[in-house]
This record gives sequence, structure tokens and C-alpha cells, in this order.
Amino acid sequence: MLENDHIKRLLSAIALYNDQVAYKELFVLLHSRLKQFAYSILKSGEEAEELVSDVFIGIWQKKDRLTSIESPRLYFYTTVKNLACNRLNKQKRQVNGSPEEWLVQMNSIYFNPEELMITEEMMRQIKKAVNELPPRCRLIFKLIKEDGLKYREVAELLQLSVKTVEAQMAIGLRRIARCMHFEVKGSPLPQLSLKK
Amino acid sequence: MSQEKFWILLAKKLSGETSADELHELENLIHEHPEWQFAVQNIGGVLKNHPLKDEIHAEDAYMLHLHRMAEMNIPFNDEHTEEPVFVASNRKAKWYWAAAAVLIVALGFFAFNELSGNKNPNGQLAAEINEISTRQGSKSKVQLPDGTVVWLNSGSKLTYDKEYGQKLREVILIGEGYFDVVKMKDKPFIIHTSAINIKVLGTVFNVKAYPEDKRTETSLLRGSIEVTIKNRPNDKIILVPSEKLVIENSRVIEKEEPKTTIPTPSAEPSINTLVAINKLKYGSSDSSVAETQWIDNKLVFRDESFAELAVKMQRWYGVEIEIKDTKIGQKRLNGIFENETVIQALDALKEFISFRYKQTGNKIIINR
Repeated sequence: MLENDHIKRLLSAIALYNDQVAYKELFVLLHSRLKQFAYSILKSGEEAEELVSDVFIGIWQKKDRLTSIESPRLYFYTTVKNLACNRLNKQKRQVNGSPEEWLVQMNSIYFNPEELMITEEMMRQIKKAVNELPPRCRLIFKLIKEDGLKYREVAELLQLSVKTVEAQMAIGLRRIARCMHFEVKGSPLPQLSLKK
Repeated sequence: MSQEKFWILLAKKLSGETSADELHELENLIHEHPEWQFAVQNIGGVLKNHPLKDEIHAEDAYMLHLHRMAEMNIPFNDEHTEEPVFVASNRKAKWYWAAAAVLIVALGFFAFNELSGNKNPNGQLAAEINEISTRQGSKSKVQLPDGTVVWLNSGSKLTYDKEYGQKLREVILIGEGYFDVVKMKDKPFIIHTSAINIKVLGTVFNVKAYPEDKRTETSLLRGSIEVTIKNRPNDKIILVPSEKLVIENSRVIEKEEPKTTIPTPSAEPSINTLVAINKLKYGSSDSSVAETQWIDNKLVFRDESFAELAVKMQRWYGVEIEIKDTKIGQKRLNGIFENETVIQALDALKEFISFRYKQTGNKIIINR
């Protein structure tokens, strides 16, 4: 989990003491998440890497302002999103950088099979189900389950309502449950309202 | 309807987003549909938060990032130190990967008592003072209550009171110490010397603050430290790795007359400098710097005058050395003493500078 308080402490060490150790720790902590998020928009590993570096250059150059960041987690993701969308616009590579067009890769869902009564086949099914979620749903799922953002933060980042985030999470969860044959019984599952 | 609600609530619960009311609602739903219980128990294990860890890749990326910053001429090491006007600018910042932290500060007077816990006679109500000192010619390693380790060089004293570690970690240093400070972000470690205060959060550094020395030296190998000078409490100097802060004590400590038994000619031209920041010089064969080698029992001198070296030798060997001839005192020397006795050391120096010495008891007199 990405703790806001932890990031805040690192940011204030950087702001107040030019703490290079804290700077490095912050970089290592956020790098792969931010890079993956940048990648989902830019669809280029090289550009994503450069973009994360740009974000951190900004952090070092704007040290004085770091302590006033309310939610650093959201700040980093928003910065990545804005820089990435600007980049796309400049390159005129895409008309819009809407989340529907982002390429979201889940690292995979992790299990501890010993805790669970699931088979290999089920695991495969679950992974498949996750990767077949519609892009926006997969993105929300990833941001919350892998990156540790809160519903409220995801809503703000993607400019959605919290209700939409809730609904998307429910859809993702239900699809996974279906793979595991955990369909809730009693009434037939309503058809999922997902566009193919 | 209840199914939709069920999945929304379950997803929120697994993401740590449920309010007390919602948890209650979810429990009620499960209670009404006991057949859902199985799904609830099992799906939780699938969806635990597992942050991805890719630190090795991230470390490589960090190196590339710093490299990129350097290529773009974005200052990383020295940006912040441009502000204090009284800082002598001799600052060619470079990032040393092998950096470790050393800080040196110089202080007031000598204490000759050894490792003595100074119990307050008035009982426990008064703040209890702990005092650790080393004699001339001996060194000591101590561990403070928070796990911070301090090596004390010869003729030095470190004190801290009972309050240590409660809100702050404050110590007073006279002489030279090498500090390996345990990182505690909410409890800064503060070292007071007669000329400066040093504030750190957690790092390794060496402080040289001998009262009879002209300068207080603070060398940093890793992390960062904040130094304030006694008579300029509002100016903060921040050191970054591989930097050494040198302060002219006479400009800071008022009416303090350093009683030098040896004429120490001014070694550097920067006579008007109150504060200077220099780069630490790393040994060519390893990553050590002269400033910290005393903890490995090495007396290292690099481009120092014989007079300056003599002061170090006095402490190191616990002897008194007097150089009668000023010209001999001005000769500059490089070298390391490791296992030599004071006599062996002097004999070795004689190979480079011609002089004669006479030892009477604890006192050595050097002549042309």
C-alpha cells in the first residue's frame, strides 16, 4: 500500500533538508507504479521512463512547495496523467487521451493457493477474466488493488464520480467471482452491462 | 438489487473503503444469504493488496534519472547552498556514488576523565547527565540509548542528559566524534559544539571540534545535515554527501583565546572566510576519506603543515610537542601513521624534513 503519510514524510525531508536519501527512497517507492501508469497512456516504455524522470526532476526543482501537497499519492498520479496527455497532444499522436484508449496491464492477481480452494485452472481463468475486463474497469481495478489508491482519489484522477468507481469495482469483482464459480446463488446473475 | 449492492459493498470492504454502516449492511446481506458466505471468504484471498516490488529495476532507473539530470544541467548537489552569502564558493558539485557520511566539528576544551557516569548528587529529580570522555592517546566507541553509535577520538567528551530520545536526541560534543545516527524522522539528532549546532535525522558523519584548533570541521559522507553557526542562528547551511564544512572558530566564539602551544601558520589563503565548504577527497585505492580514518586507528594527514600534524600527534600519542623552528613547522606533509610509536613516527618524518628532537618525559622539543 502506498501510504500518503509515508510519502509526506519523505517529501518534507526533501523540502527541509535536501535529503537525497529520502529522494531516492521516494523514487524507488513510486517508480514502477508511475511508470506503468505512464505506460498505459503513452504506450511506450522509453517515454514512460522519461516521464517518470521528469516528474522527479519537478520534485527536486519545486522543493519549497512540496510540503503543501495535501494528497501526495493523488498528486503523483495526476502529474503523470497531465504530463502524459500533454505529450500526446504535442505529438498529435492521438486526438484525445481518454482512459478508454489507455492500455492497462495488470501485473496479475496474486494468490496464496494454500489459503484458497482454487485449482490451477481457476487461477488461469481468473487472470484471463481480469485481463479481459474493459479498459476503464481494469484501470480502476489496478489503481485500487495494485497501486493502493482510494476510491475518492481514483474518481478525482479520472474525473469520474465515486459511484462510478464503486460500480466498476463491483463489476470487476463479480467477474472474478464468476470464474471461481462463486456465483451467488438464489437468483440468476443479471447480464453484466459491459460493452464488448 | 441486493446482489448489486452486495458486490459493491464487498469490493469496498476488500479495498478498505467501507464505513461502519456499510459493513453492517454487508453483514446483514450475508446473513440473509448464507450461501454467499463461501464467496466472501475465498475471494478476499485473491484480492489482497499486493504492491508490486521491483526495487532493483527502480535503483537502475534512479541512476539513469540522476544521469539525465546531470546532462540537463539540473543541479542536484549544490543548489541549496548558494544562498548564504558568507559561504566561500569553491563548490564543484559532483555526485559521488560511493559516498558515505562524515562530519567534523571542533569545540571548546579538554576533558581527561575516562568513561565516567556523572551522577547528580541531588538525586533523581535533577536531569541526570551522562558523560563519556577519552584521554589523550585513547579512543572509545559508545552506543547511545537509541542505538546510535559514536566513536570518540582522543581527548574528547560527549554528554547527554536523561531527556535524550524523548523528544529530541541532543548531545554536546567537545573534541572529535564519528557519528552513526539511527534514523528516526520524528526525533532529530542534534549536536551542540561551541561554534555550531548540527541537526540530522539519520546519517553517518564525523565532527571535529577541538578547542585549541582554529577551525571546526564537519564532514558528511552520506545523507544530509543542517548546520547552524552559533552567532548566526538564522542561517542554515545544509551539507550534502562528500562535503566538508570548515568554520573559523575565532569568528564565532567570542573572547575565546585558543592557547596554542605551537605556532600554526595560516595554511589557507582564505583568511576572511568565516565558513567554507570543500569537497572531501577520497583515497585513490579505496573509498575512505582522511577525515574518518581515525576510527580505523589511522592517523592520516594530507597536505598539512608539520605544525598542524604536531597538534594531531599530541592528541594521538598523548604527548606534548613543541616546534621551536617556525620554518620547520610550515613544511607540508602527506602520510598515514598506523602502528608506529611516537618515536617511530618522528624518525619517519625526519626522512622528509631534517630536524632533531629531544624527548624529556612526556614532552618532545623539535629543533632545526
